[in-house]
Amino acid sequence: MRTIVLWLACVLALASPPWAQAAPDDHAGAIGALADVRAAVAEIVRIEDGYAVGHGAYVRAAHRAMNALVGRRDDGYAASYGDPGDGVGTLGHLDIMLDKVGSSLWTPAIEGAKANVLAAADNLQSALGQKEMEEYEADLTRALANLALVVGRPAQDGVLGGISGALGNTTLGVPWGATSVSGCALPSRAPAYGIVAQRLVYVALPRRSASAAIPDELSISRVVVRADDVVLYTHGAVAATTACGHASRMQRTREVALAAPEPPFTAAQAHAGSAVYRKSCLQCHGADLQGTAGPAVAGTEFLTTAKRNKWSLEDLRVTVFQNMPFSNPGSLTPKQYADVSAFLLASSCYPAGTRPFPQTDSSTLAAVKLGPISGAKPTNAKLGTCAVK
Amino acid sequence: MLRKVIGFAVIAVVSVVAVSRLGAQSSWPTTDSYLNADTDTADWILPARSYTGNRYLAHSDITTANVSTLKKAWATNVDARGPLETSPIVWHDTMYVTSSHNDVYALDAKTGAVKWHHAYKPHVIAFSANRGVAIGDGKVYEATLDGNLIALDAATGKTLWSVVAAHDTTNTFYTMQPVPYKDMLLLGASNGDWGGIGYLSAFSAATGKRIWDWETIPGPGQPGHGSWSGDSWKRGGGAIWSGVAIDPATNTLYADAGNPQPDFLGTIRKGTNLYTNSMVALDISGATPKLKWYHQFIPHDTHDWDPAMPPVLFSGTVGGTARKLVAAGDKGGNFWVLDAGTGALVYHLPVSTQKGQNTEPSRTGNIACPNTNGGVEFNGGSYMPETNAFYVPSVDQCGQWTSPGTATYVSGQFYLGGAFPKLVGPSTGYMSAVDIGTGKFLWRKHLAFPQIGGALSLSSGIVFTGGVNGDFTAYDAKTGSVLWHYPTNQTIQAPPGSYSLGGKQYVVVASGPAGINFADPRFAAGAPTLEGTYSHPTKATITAFTLP
Repeated sequence: MRTIVLWLACVLALASPPWAQAAPDDHAGAIGALADVRAAVAEIVRIEDGYAVGHGAYVRAAHRAMNALVGRRDDGYAASYGDPGDGVGTLGHLDIMLDKVGSSLWTPAIEGAKANVLAAADNLQSALGQKEMEEYEADLTRALANLALVVGRPAQDGVLGGISGALGNTTLGVPWGATSVSGCALPSRAPAYGIVAQRLVYVALPRRSASAAIPDELSISRVVVRADDVVLYTHGAVAATTACGHASRMQRTREVALAAPEPPFTAAQAHAGSAVYRKSCLQCHGADLQGTAGPAVAGTEFLTTAKRNKWSLEDLRVTVFQNMPFSNPGSLTPKQYADVSAFLLASSCYPAGTRPFPQTDSSTLAAVKLGPISGAKPTNAKLGTCAVK
Repeated sequence: MLRKVIGFAVIAVVSVVAVSRLGAQSSWPTTDSYLNADTDTADWILPARSYTGNRYLAHSDITTANVSTLKKAWATNVDARGPLETSPIVWHDTMYVTSSHNDVYALDAKTGAVKWHHAYKPHVIAFSANRGVAIGDGKVYEATLDGNLIALDAATGKTLWSVVAAHDTTNTFYTMQPVPYKDMLLLGASNGDWGGIGYLSAFSAATGKRIWDWETIPGPGQPGHGSWSGDSWKRGGGAIWSGVAIDPATNTLYADAGNPQPDFLGTIRKGTNLYTNSMVALDISGATPKLKWYHQFIPHDTHDWDPAMPPVLFSGTVGGTARKLVAAGDKGGNFWVLDAGTGALVYHLPVSTQKGQNTEPSRTGNIACPNTNGGVEFNGGSYMPETNAFYVPSVDQCGQWTSPGTATYVSGQFYLGGAFPKLVGPSTGYMSAVDIGTGKFLWRKHLAFPQIGGALSLSSGIVFTGGVNGDFTAYDAKTGSVLWHYPTNQTIQAPPGSYSLGGKQYVVVASGPAGINFADPRFAAGAPTLEGTYSHPTKATITAFTLP
């Protein structure tokens, strides 16, 4: 008896094997979250496709969709309209999944999904305040676009895969209590889930019950039928199994997972922009970028305003390139405008990258939403700004 | 008629009783004090001294003979995070001023010593600026950059109450000085370049509770709504942001509604766009204001040429006939004189260079004058009965305007449908004296710097104004010759005021860093002033002057 206890303790103390499955019960949470999103989408689609007359029906639909998304523990929950979801809400499920120490391969996808749920909720909230049908529908359409990203695609992993992608490509797809094995080899018996470095490589199902047990969120790239079982290989199986035998290298590899597209700019641009700022902007926006005659343009005050007003990087670009410096708009060169934009982003603690801030119109900037940056390490904690070197 | 007279008598008795009961607190201006503010030589209790909006003193110890001996009495530095635009309020021995970021100061009017300082940290949408406070009943009122109306204890500067007064704080802020009128505070919102609809509000001076709003853009079913194509009226602009004048005898309020939006794109708002760029006369005797008349200065404006000058009511002589008139000035470089009773145009006179005014901004850009910061700005000017002349500073600039042909509303950003114009050519200013009798210039001074400092007229024949180069100047009202000047070495974009204390008359003006409109680096490059060269100031100062 004592031996067994010791053995269990050892197992628990050791690092998880590479095919370890998700904690209890993240899989069920993801499935619940997905169901709630679909319930919300159904509400919106029903009202958009229908011919409802009167404001009340639209308000009701938006509230019901909101309820399914945020769950009954959220302030935005309006019980009187009913809840097509399970009451926990997509947000509730995702929060439970994310509320733990450490991160998994699926964490970025779930964080991305959460960000998109919040965006959808914002749009639904906005819809509830609209007086014009056209504007109400525009908000709902935006919410639907957000929710499409929450659901995501099983064929895609990372943040663009959404919840489906995480279920179909990572350990999140393994139900609690199911057997996980190393995905580098075929399973000795089914059902079993093949895992390599937290990636789901295959799902093996007993032949007799396979047709009824294929998970909805699986994007199947290859099927191997054996005597007793069916092995369904995932979309990412080939890529994942190249790591077989190279586990140490895999462990060193960190996936750069982004919750949203990052602003493009280089460190060199930000550096050059510092001089432009001093010459043409500092007088109104201040040495600390918190504004004197003009408003704050970096740090917590700026990012909070940007989030509240849903500013995209394109909104910032238009204001800077077209209307600044206010006393002589359009007086800088495109390079100076791009550099100073980079300086502002760097001052707000966005990380520099390899893609430069564009000097001309760029369709990509509209997708980059500005707002407080999680994990940022400001050099001025009070202002939330970073010194630019 | 008899009933009306009795009504007035009862009110008068009640107010006398109220004053005597309040004892020490009766030291605050009463309704009568405000109505008679123009005859009070000691104090300055309304934004432009009296409800007429005319910065004029009928009695002045400072004369053309002694003004050259005018000396600095005191100077007090205040928060310098932006330009000072404050119009000081003086009551007995205390002066109340504000900084660009809504800090409020109570100063000893004799020494400039700070009695108390109320610091404020507003969220700034676009410009930091504030034009001053209102006082009454032991309170100091300020409207803030984050859309609040606040009341401070006049004795201590502590906050008594604060209400969110703006309807949409993402695109609306306050720079205007609240105007006390019959237990109300009148206040216009700044939202005319950020996608809002302009409105003037009345709040209870006791509690800050909203009494009424009057929107400048007529909604569906209202007269004037047809002057907007489609839904363009919904973000039509027309902010009332600089100041108002009131004729208490008829309960008529005069206000100027600002430019239409999107500022530089007219194609999506076809029509004349009422009541933008218009003076409106409102009957404010009832529960809600009623429009008596309007006069639109620039229909369908596409250059942000709003009538920034606060209206000035005065009795002037035109062609030998005494008339009740109201003056206006716009950023399009026009000085307007209307009949105060009907709004009919008496005449108008260009006071800045005008060019290309009828061409809408194009994709490639076209030049028009004045520039968006040009013409007559928000401090306006003043009328002097002794000369029957109106003194008005103006800005002379041209700009290159562009519009991509589309406009997108983004919450908290400019809603322009184009770009603010690029300054083209020189940036100068004028100080003009307009002979009201003829509608022609009595005299004009072309100055090396933009002039937006308003004007203070003294019956002794002196006009004070300040330039953005920091020179504070006293002109001979008849000839325009410079009688006295003082270099503040800071930017002046606040109007001058005057008060008397301990038998001495003071003139006061605020100066500080250049505002966002005049922060052009070229102004700093050793440009000339009367006393040397200009450099960008980093301090903000209230300076009072008096005779030795």
